[in-house]
Formats: sequence, structure tokens, C-alpha cells
Amino acid sequence: MPVVIFPIPQWEESLTLFCVILTGVIVVCSGALAYFRYVRMVRPPVGAFNTRDVVILLIVIGVLPFVYGWLPDTAVTCILLVTFASALYIGYAPLLGQVGIWLGIGVLFGLNIWSSNHIMGTVAGWDWWYAQQSVVVLLGAIAVCNLYLQGGMKLRHVAWMSLGLACYDIVFASYYPLTGRLIARYITHPLTPVIGMRFGRVDYALGLGDLLVYSLFFVAAYKAYGKWAATIAGAVTVVFGGFATAFVPFLFNFTNANLDELVPAQSLFGPAAFLTYLWMKRHYGRERTMAEYLASQSSTAPAPQVEQAPAPEPASI
Amino acid sequence: MFETGVRQFRLALGIALRRRLDPRNVERLVGDVLATLAEFGEAGADAAELVEGPTTNPEDRLEFTNGSLRRTAVRLGAQSPFYARLFSSAQIDPAKLDVAGLRAIPVTVKADLTERPGDFRCTDVQAYLATRTTGTTGRPTEVWLSRYEMELWPALGALASVLRGELRPGDVMQVNLSSRSTVALHQAANACRLAGAGCRLLGIVPPETALESLAEGGATILLTNPSYLAELVKAARRAGMGAGDFRLRRLVSGGEVLSPSLVRAASGMFGVPHVEDPYSMTEIVPITGRPCSQGHMHHDTNLGLTELVDLHTGEPAAPGALGTLVITPYFPYRDCTPVLRYDTRDVARCLPDEPLHCELATVPATSLVLGKADHLLRMPGGEIVTSRQFIEVIESLPAEPWPARYRAAACDGRIRLTLPASAIAGYSQAEAVRHFAAAGLDVDLDIVGDDQAVSLRHTRSDMLETTFASPHALVGA
Repeated sequence: MPVVIFPIPQWEESLTLFCVILTGVIVVCSGALAYFRYVRMVRPPVGAFNTRDVVILLIVIGVLPFVYGWLPDTAVTCILLVTFASALYIGYAPLLGQVGIWLGIGVLFGLNIWSSNHIMGTVAGWDWWYAQQSVVVLLGAIAVCNLYLQGGMKLRHVAWMSLGLACYDIVFASYYPLTGRLIARYITHPLTPVIGMRFGRVDYALGLGDLLVYSLFFVAAYKAYGKWAATIAGAVTVVFGGFATAFVPFLFNFTNANLDELVPAQSLFGPAAFLTYLWMKRHYGRERTMAEYLASQSSTAPAPQVEQAPAPEPASI
Repeated sequence: MFETGVRQFRLALGIALRRRLDPRNVERLVGDVLATLAEFGEAGADAAELVEGPTTNPEDRLEFTNGSLRRTAVRLGAQSPFYARLFSSAQIDPAKLDVAGLRAIPVTVKADLTERPGDFRCTDVQAYLATRTTGTTGRPTEVWLSRYEMELWPALGALASVLRGELRPGDVMQVNLSSRSTVALHQAANACRLAGAGCRLLGIVPPETALESLAEGGATILLTNPSYLAELVKAARRAGMGAGDFRLRRLVSGGEVLSPSLVRAASGMFGVPHVEDPYSMTEIVPITGRPCSQGHMHHDTNLGLTELVDLHTGEPAAPGALGTLVITPYFPYRDCTPVLRYDTRDVARCLPDEPLHCELATVPATSLVLGKADHLLRMPGGEIVTSRQFIEVIESLPAEPWPARYRAAACDGRIRLTLPASAIAGYSQAEAVRHFAAAGLDVDLDIVGDDQAVSLRHTRSDMLETTFASPHALVGA
């Protein structure tokens, strides 16, 4: 008979997790929204996010855990370094300039790598590590969220991606618990893609993917339909992404609840986000394009292009 | 977005390695541009590089040009019987060709193409469609095209057009070019298809029919020749029409000299800000030239090389001198009947050797095309008068005699200019002579009846295509 250890009452653990998630959701959503409203990323000359991009993303997300599981930790760290550096560079180079961004990335990563190897013997050490970790992950999530949304990702895409991730989460967190194993193996290494906090002997953490989807859903709703839609999206995120994720183990597994186990957050949030999208589509109609959103923020509509044309011509003079 | 990146990479790789491009890939990129415009309203910041090419640095451009020339020449040496013989007889190694060495290769003239068309067809390509020049300036020349070319050119054209905002979904392009202008019609129709625009290929039909279609058919773009444009303006005036009757946003008129007086009249009549006057030619497609707001003609450097060769020496024209445009389309843009150093006989003036300050300053330029070399009037003192000079002055007469019908000859050291009587309507002959003198042309006028006007100078508007409903058909019935 296994001995169940409860450092603190289950409801308190759930509440603590909820607070951690809520903090993460508030920071990432408000940060992503502020960025979306005030910073314009340089986008490629041609290309807008489309449905096939969602499929490609889901395939990559589905394959990546196997790749991570197969690679040695050092290689995973290298991949994460490149990924986070790219995200931070794309997101914050326009704000900090070339010197500033590389200095910032160097400091953040250096501190993270150093603390991953030296100070995690105590709860305070863990919390310091989590704090740095969270800064990097939140900044990364905000940058990637805007990269996608300012690249033309629509609420429709986010909703379908959430639904896809719900299936992914159910498979990889419950039936084939690869995600949990990966986290358990990698948790003390630099740039682990989670935010969190340690209280006593329990880690309360939320994954980068979850944060990204929450911020995408929130800001995409804002872009598509405005602030009231964003408010609804925010509420859905808090209820299904935060509250339900934190309290499901408490509600449905009273005897064996152990919050160190992985909760498949997207399996709860994905269907709710998708249904919310369907409701918004029916209620508000067509989503705004990026051009329409920008026009709504400014009385000046995008200027039409007026360059001259080399049209096909038939013959010489 | 990911796929678009891959497509752009494939296109860039094909251009850099000078391999055949995948027309389907370019077509899909057009779709990507349309999706980008639908989402963002405009393409991203570096979109111009996709159209204009990334090389504005002269040294990089020279390296690109040399590489493209070598690639083109190597293929011609291997696949084109005409050029294989030419290289062999001139002892030229195509693999070592560069811009400086290009002058050693004699220009290809229209007679070569007309007399030995089969020798120009590359042996590694299946010919698909033959097109002929319209023959307004001489015997028609036949050019065979491959299926690859016929797919690639509209795709590249559509890509450039949608990126520049020249063609948009929902546009309706009316094309009033000769129905025998196979390439131009195919390009226009397919570019419209790719851009989600409508295309109405009307031909050189009676102007009233074209006007009705323009006004009631909701055309937003008109593609025609200057002489036919003149007929349209005159017909619209007769019908009492004005800018409010049309929805045009672009008017493109090339293939002949377009005079400022016709531009002013057409802009006012059809309610467009300006008339675009691009340069192209059947033999050298897909190379084009674009005029800028300062009256230069800027020549495409990505798809081919344009030289301005002195009319007398065959060397590069000096600043201020007249020259003929000699054009080499690069592989992989020209595939089936490629030409190297094709002498178009289109004359332009070399611009002064000083930096340009127009909106296309990074693209090499000459003056606008001034006329055909064979139509230049050479005066005994060495002065040369171009077709453009005559046409612009004639079309600025108060009678607005568009399209200009004239014949010019040098006679006893003076210009003898034959005009139809209606051209100087409202002027006495002396006043008309003063009009020409004010423009720097000392002429002796020879006035003939209007019934002889068409025989004085043929224009493309003369290639009228009758319909069963048109007066021409009724006369013959």
C-alpha cells in the first residue's frame, strides 16, 4: 500500500497551484497584449499565418518530445538555448537594439545556467532558479505569441491549435506519459521551459506551451473582436486553464492526489477555447484582419501602394 | 507562413544557382502575396527586394550580370545551333564571357531571326507555342516558346504586379491589343487568373465597342497601344463621355510612342492620375523597361542585360549620344528561342554620366525610347531627328491629330514633312510651320488629303478587327 505524503492539505496545494498559474496567466496575457498594442514586429515581406502552419506546428510539437527524449541533455540544452535566444532576439531587438538584446540574453542565460548548477540545494535556491526561469519563459512566450499574431495568426487558428493540443496533452500526459518523464528528467537543467515556484517539497509549475496558448487565445480574441471578446477569453483562460487545471486533481482524485504529477492542462482548456471561439464567431461574425485591427487603432487607414506598373506589353516601337 | 518561407527560399535558390524555376512555386507565391495583402493590407518592408532584386551595389550587380551572362551563353553554346556557330566562328569561350567580353559578340539582328528561325530554337526544349510580332515595323518574326516559359512569365508578372499593387483581386483588366499578340494576351489573362482579377481580351475592335465595354463592364485596368488609346479618347469625346463614366484606376499603354498631349487627354478622359508607358518587345520577353516620373526608361537588370550601343560605332553609347537597345534575356527566364545581344533597333539616348535622383534611381536607365533606328531622319549637317520628336510635336497641334500620321524626309537640307489636312485644322500653313519651328524642327509642310492619312504612317490601331456588328462587317455583307 503506497504511502501518500501531503506536505500541506490538498486544497491548499490546489490553491497554491492556481495562484501560480493565475500569476503566470496574468503576466503573460497582459504582457503579450501590451506588446501587441504598442510594438510592431518586423514581418517578412510575404507570408501570413494559415491553417497549414497550425498543422505544421502541431506536428513539430508532437515530434519534439521524442526528439528531446532521444537526445542527451546537453543537446536539449543547446536546442533550448537557440530557441529562446531566437525568440528573445526577434521579440526584443526592436526595443533594446543589437547591443542591448545580446547583453540581455547573455545575462539571463548566464545567470540561468550558473544557478542551474550551483544553488538548487535549498527551497530559496529553487525559488531563485524558478524566478529567473520564469522571466526567460514569460518573455519568450510574449515574443512568440506576438510573432504568430502579428504574423497573421487568427483566433480560428488558435482555437484549432488548442483543440489539437488538447488531444496531444491527453495522449502524452495520460496514456503515454512522455511529457512527465521529460520534465522529471530535465527539470533542474538550464532553460527548462516552465515557470513556477517551490513551496516546501512541492513544485508548482506551468509549461511554456500552456502559457503560449493562453496568451495567444487572449490576444487573438482581442485582435479579432475587441476588448469584450478579450475579457471573455481571459475569463475562459482563468477558469479552464487555471482553476480547472489546479483543482481537477483535488476534485477527482481525493485519495491519490499528488500535485507533482503532470496535469494535462490543454485537455481542459482546448475544448473550452474552441467552443468559445465558435460562440464568438457566431456572435461577432468575421474576425478582423491585422490591417483592420491597425486601422481601428488609428484614424489613418493603410495607404494604398501607388508605384508604377510594368505590365506585359506586346511589341516594340 | 512556413510554406511561404520555403517557397521564397526555393525561388531565391533557383535564381542564385541560375536553374530553371518551378512555375508552380511562383504561382503559389502569388497566392501567398494575396493572402498577405488580405491580412495586412500591404506586403512587408522588404517586399521590393522580391521584385527589384537585392543587388543595388554596382560591384555585386556586375558579378551577378557576369554570372548570368556566362550561364546563358554556356547553354546557348550547347543547345542553340545559331549561337554554337557564332561562338565557334568568333572563337569565344562562353564559360569565360563577361560584360566586357560581350562586345566581341556581334549583335543578333531581326533578319537573323526571320531568315533562320529554326537555328535559334534550343535543342533541349520542346517547343509549345509560336508567336509572331505584329509586323507593324516590317516582316513579322516568329518566336517559339516552351510551355515552361508560358507558365513562368505570367507567374513572375503576377508576382511583381500584386506586390506593387498594380493588380488586385476584383480588378477587371480590359485588353485592347491585337489578337495576334499571343504572348501579351496570354500573360495578361494568366496574370489576372493568378491575381484573382477578371480579364477581358477584346482585341482592336471598333473604339465604340471598347468604350462601351470599358464603361459598362466596369474595367479597372486598360491595357492598349497609344494609337488605339487615341482612338478611344476621340470616340469618348464624340460620345460626350467623361471621367465619371469609367472606373479605371490604371491605364497602361505601350508598344508605340506615347506623346504628352495624348497622356494629358487620356488621363482627363478616363480619370487616371497618369498613363503608364512600359517597354517590351516580343523577341526579348520577359525583359521590360519602366519609365519613372523624371522621364527615364529603367531597364530590368534581374531577368536580362540591356546595353545601349552607339548607332555608328557599335560601342557603348556615350552620355548624350543616341544608341540602339541591345538586349540579352538570361537563362532560366528565356528557354526555347533565346537570343543573345538582340538588337531591338529601338533608339534611346544615353543619360548624362551623373547620379539619378528619381524613384527608380538604383535601376540603370536610358531616355525613353525615341523610335526605331530605321525611322530616324538624318539631316545633312549630321543632325538626327527621331520619331518621338515628330510625333510629340504633331500630336500637340491644336487639332490634336492623334495618332500622328506623317511622313518625313530630308530634302535640300531641310525637313519635308507630309501631313494630312486635318492635322493642321485651325492653323494656317504658316502657323503650323511656326509651331514646328518653336519645337526646334524647321520643316517644309506638304499637306495631303485625309484619305491618304493612313498610308503616311501605319499604327497598331490600323489592325482593326471587325465583328459581325461592326460597320466594317455590315459594309461587306
